[in-house]
Amino acid sequence: MSASVVADPPAPAGAPPPPEQEIRALGRSLDAAFPSAARRPVHAAERALAAPLSDRPELRAALFRLVDVAPACRTPTELGEHLDAFLAELPAHERAAGLALHLTGGRGGHALSGRAAAVAVARMARFFIAGEDPAAALPALARLWSGGVASSLDLLGEATVTAAEADRYAARCDDALVQLAQAVRAWPARPLLERDFAGRLPRANLSVKVTALTPLIREAAPEIGREDAARRLRPLLRRARELGAHLHVDMESIASRELIVGLVLGLLAEDEFRDGPDAGIVLQAYLTDSDELLREVLEWAARTERATPLTVRLVKGAYWDHELVEARQRGWTPPVHATKADTDRSFERLTRALLAARPAVRVAIASHNLRSIAHAIVCNRRSGRPDTDLELQVLRGLGDDLHHALAAHRLRVRSYCPVGDLVSGMAYLVRRLLENTANDSFLAARADGADLDRLLRAP
Amino acid sequence: MSFANEPLLELRRAWVRDGLEDALRALDAELPLHVPVLIDGATRDAPDLASTDPGAPERVVAAATRATPTEVDDAVRAASAAQAAWAARRAAARAAVLVRAAGLLRERRARLAALAVRECAKPWAEADADVCEAIDFLTYYAADAVRLERGEELVQLPGERNELRYRPRGVVAVVAPWNFPFAIALGMTAAALATGNAVVLKPAEQSPGCAFELVRALHEAGVPAGALALLPGEGDVGAALVAHAGVHVIAFTGSSAVGQQILRVAADVRPGQRHLKHVVAEMGGKNCVLVDADADLDDAVPAVAYSAFGFAGQKCSACSRVLVHEAIAAPFAERLRGLLDTLVVDQATRFGVDVPPLIERSAQERIADALAQAAAVGATVARGAAGPDEGWFAAPAIVTDVAADAPLLSTELFGPVVTVEPVPDLQAALARVEALPFGLTGGIFSRNPARVRELTWKLPVGNVYVNRHITGATVARQPFGGTRLSGGGPKAGGPGYLHHFVESVVVSENTTRHGLVV
Ligand SMILES: Cc1cc2nc3c(=O)[nH]c(=O)nc-3n(C[C@H](O)[C@H](O)[C@H](O)COP(=O)(O)OP(=O)(O)OC[C@H]3O[C@@H](n4cnc5c(N)ncnc54)[C@H](O)[C@@H]3O)c2cc1C
Repeated sequence: MSASVVADPPAPAGAPPPPEQEIRALGRSLDAAFPSAARRPVHAAERALAAPLSDRPELRAALFRLVDVAPACRTPTELGEHLDAFLAELPAHERAAGLALHLTGGRGGHALSGRAAAVAVARMARFFIAGEDPAAALPALARLWSGGVASSLDLLGEATVTAAEADRYAARCDDALVQLAQAVRAWPARPLLERDFAGRLPRANLSVKVTALTPLIREAAPEIGREDAARRLRPLLRRARELGAHLHVDMESIASRELIVGLVLGLLAEDEFRDGPDAGIVLQAYLTDSDELLREVLEWAARTERATPLTVRLVKGAYWDHELVEARQRGWTPPVHATKADTDRSFERLTRALLAARPAVRVAIASHNLRSIAHAIVCNRRSGRPDTDLELQVLRGLGDDLHHALAAHRLRVRSYCPVGDLVSGMAYLVRRLLENTANDSFLAARADGADLDRLLRAP
Repeated sequence: MSFANEPLLELRRAWVRDGLEDALRALDAELPLHVPVLIDGATRDAPDLASTDPGAPERVVAAATRATPTEVDDAVRAASAAQAAWAARRAAARAAVLVRAAGLLRERRARLAALAVRECAKPWAEADADVCEAIDFLTYYAADAVRLERGEELVQLPGERNELRYRPRGVVAVVAPWNFPFAIALGMTAAALATGNAVVLKPAEQSPGCAFELVRALHEAGVPAGALALLPGEGDVGAALVAHAGVHVIAFTGSSAVGQQILRVAADVRPGQRHLKHVVAEMGGKNCVLVDADADLDDAVPAVAYSAFGFAGQKCSACSRVLVHEAIAAPFAERLRGLLDTLVVDQATRFGVDVPPLIERSAQERIADALAQAAAVGATVARGAAGPDEGWFAAPAIVTDVAADAPLLSTELFGPVVTVEPVPDLQAALARVEALPFGLTGGIFSRNPARVRELTWKLPVGNVYVNRHITGATVARQPFGGTRLSGGGPKAGGPGYLHHFVESVVVSENTTRHGLVV
């Protein structure tokens, strides 16, 4: 008798890659539809420095540390002191350039330079954050909708370290769902955004973070956080079902992944949620084992009876530096791909696998990378499906030009719109700014004038 | 120096956790372990000292044999006799033995971690880190001793040859604590062995099982029988050992009271003793974290909680006082208080536990007394969950409104208790730290680089941590050791530590003959 070897099942497969020239043609066509030269929140700073921040690591660090601390400073003088301290840290050759960040023109003293910096930071924040709270953001969401762009609301907040904070976040989510559902009734019909192969698409869409729903994240014990988060997520799912809204659970660092996947797939499989709400999770292409997670999700979808398919939002992943630093410090094999091209290839492979998995799942491709997006759209078209069977997603601020271009092409696009005050939004803001000035970022490369054809090449 | 720390277990992976649970089951089936007196390869196994599971005091983890005064003497004599041959090997040969021992510990990592979970109630992550640190000490000191053997460069003039070499001091008495039952015991032992000394190890009475596993691995790897002895026992065994005239170095980690006692005893020159004893003492602390007005509380609150309550506060590096700028004292206190309620107080065997049981009943009583005393004079005490009934649990506590002269602010408690004091600014906080007799670790949360730089140089402590937790020093990355009454300054796991286990010899030779340089 021969020993039987149990091999891993193969990764979920999709159609073969589509022809490159189609992807490039679509990419160019989308690019041509951008309303303006890409606007970026760090442009003012970069113009003052006459160089992209991605080439000036010390200045970039100083700028981000300033942005980071700004909301914690109670007075302009305090902020001015920090500004001085950051400038003093710069190496000699950068100090002159650093002074350009001293937006006062010099003689104003701490209070004045601090006030100017505070204004600059607030302006950057407004670029990414739709308003202080849902009510303040609703007009912006309505404008997006009228312009042919759907939205997902995201509530920014400080880290959840106490049960009271988790309760407050859950209450804010509940309140946001109610306000959203109320507001969207008055929105005009936008058939492109409201229906796909699986039926009606909710107008009201909320993204939530599990680490904000429980203070009990223990990476060695996902069950502890899962139970606690479930107590708060279950009522939100009920509310979303009652209001006909979509609830999307974001993915975070890998330390909470097992918890999040178990929580969401577990709850949605319960009888109570068989008929709704519409819900979704996120797949991160930068993880080296993302194929396995996709397989787990598809197996779940195959055995779980639900009225509407689960939406899978495919992203590259927002915690690359964090995962790498943590793995290095603890001596672990990094869970993320080592090069940007690896991530991009994984993204395209997962795109094809997800598209082929329909109708078991709905697919949302979330990226600002024209190549990644064009690839997804071409794949969808070649599968013989209408454009409405694919959702594209962008982040507010980073993806504004892109969503205009996508809407102009009558593609279904959704803008992810964070709301919150400056203090609670700071972590989000810093992450977006860092991403926006990272060497490997598509947006930064494009804004720095990189050749479009090169950027549209297969990774 | 290319040195890589032993990778921690990736406990966020389910299969890694499963592997540890298997190891625990296998270990449980073996309990109690027998820990003999071990001298020159001969064992005496007549158990009269038990270590028990702090989470289930009925369970005996190790059945140890107390060393007698005669055995203390035998062990030191055997070590003296064996030391010369061990020292005669080149440093590289000794290093190879230590690296082999590291390999054995690596193979046994799951079992060793399980043993620390049982014998000392270390939660899995901490138990695993303890084993990794032990491995790190072996490989780090092994490599460092090879470098040390080369001696130091001296100025050379024509006609003379000058050399500075190091040689071992002789017999090292290692007196180890239970809270890092692998890392600290082995760190001191490995430093001594790497530099060519012989070692007599007296482990804490609470953790003889862990110590025996280390000694076994070292012998299996090739440390000569006579060069390493194990003397289980209580304080009397340690006292006899440090007083012995044949001991050259005393490497001690533990309480300040015992450390000072050792320094006094070591100063006495006994009949027949022809050397001064050198003491390497790592003692307690009263470690403070300073939180500035611009601190990010999202980071500071969890980091303080982890530093204060992790492993139930039973680390010498643990945070026991927080000095927080009054501008954010209220939100800081509220969030820390809220976090207290989320702490998982449970058996060390449970994954994800924050606060395991204390090591023994007397520790539980000590914490209860200290909190009762503080409350009696007007302090406000908030407690977290009490934990299971079985085991030496103490509910984690935050104490506020403490009188400036209260003992709670100046004595080390070694438990899950932290005090929080608002201060007008960090200068005032610095003054309070300066007023303390200790100087082990300290923390600063601030986003102003100028203030951070100033404070890091002024804080009178051995290890300063900025915008992070203040425990978990890692070999070669955060060499560890205190100042003031916390210790004599050597940094374990860092350059210079081995110097405490050697003495230097300078040889100056006249190389001229008949007026000619030859
Ligand atoms: C609507 C929306 C929702 C999102 N939700 C989530 C979420 O729930 N969870 C989440 O984690 N992220 C989320 N993101 C963020 C996303 O993961 C990316 O960080 C971001 O979109 C940038 O990727 P890109 O494709 O737009 O740009 P690109 O510039 O093409 O790609 C940048 C990305 O590539 C990867 N990368 C960069 N350098 C390297 C390298 N050296 N090696 C390997 N990989 C590298 C990183 O993932 C980086 O974010 C979301 C994004 C959008 C648009």
